[in-house]
Amino acid sequence: MLTCKEQVARSSDYLDGQLSFREKLMVRHHLMFCRNCRRFIRQMRLMQATLKAMPEKPEEGVDALAERLAQQRRKDRS
Amino acid sequence: MVADDTQLLARLLAGEQKAFKELVTTYQSAMRAVAYAIVGQRHVEEVVQDAWLSVVRHIGSFEGRSSLKTWLLTITANSAKGRYRQNRREVLLDDLPSPHGTIDDDRFSPGDGHWLVAPFAWHQDTPEALLTENELRECLEHTLLSLSELQSSVLLLRERQGLELEDICNLLEISLSNVRVLLHRARLKVFATVEHFEETGEC
Repeated sequence: MLTCKEQVARSSDYLDGQLSFREKLMVRHHLMFCRNCRRFIRQMRLMQATLKAMPEKPEEGVDALAERLAQQRRKDRS
Repeated sequence: MVADDTQLLARLLAGEQKAFKELVTTYQSAMRAVAYAIVGQRHVEEVVQDAWLSVVRHIGSFEGRSSLKTWLLTITANSAKGRYRQNRREVLLDDLPSPHGTIDDDRFSPGDGHWLVAPFAWHQDTPEALLTENELRECLEHTLLSLSELQSSVLLLRERQGLELEDICNLLEISLSNVRVLLHRARLKVFATVEHFEETGEC
């Protein structure tokens, strides 16, 4: 059986689907019996979702850039 | 070709300004993350500008063998590599200290590897609820800035841009095992930041 420390060390690979079948089972098995590690993994997922949901700084100068690119494209075309 | 790409591509080929605006809005931050990983903060803007020019120049020969996104990011990576490749060997696995530390060995019993200090239960269980706290948002930004350029790029490309690990390897020319290490270290630091905030209410 994995220790909590070993589970944490494998957590990113677990979340990214990078573990072998056997290692994945070992992590699942540990999680089944360990409340703390279940919480850890749940909160890792929540952290991932939070990073994804963080508002991005609005891009500056988008209109000017788009105008320049579109002009260039029309020039290249003709 | 991805269906969304086909329509957008036709409009880009026609030189429609709104289509270019859509392209910039959708992909520029991912392009910036790729550039940041390869050349560092100082040259990001130049590389992204270069990449856009190259995109316009070559859009006519885009064949849709990859998604538009992958194509744009590959062009960006090439622009970056062409101009200012950093000496990556030294910085690759640099692990800088983070404001709230990480989940390191101290959290576990040396004897049996159990948690010594169990993960603190966060008060919120959705990203939206967590992010209503302005201070946490700022705190996260601060932690992201504390990561090495490569660590934060890999994290952002994975979590925000949803890239596959293989795509990150190819774009940045680093091995899968290094991507995995970078990603894991970055995540544990961000985890430690949220945990610290949830526990103390401050950054």
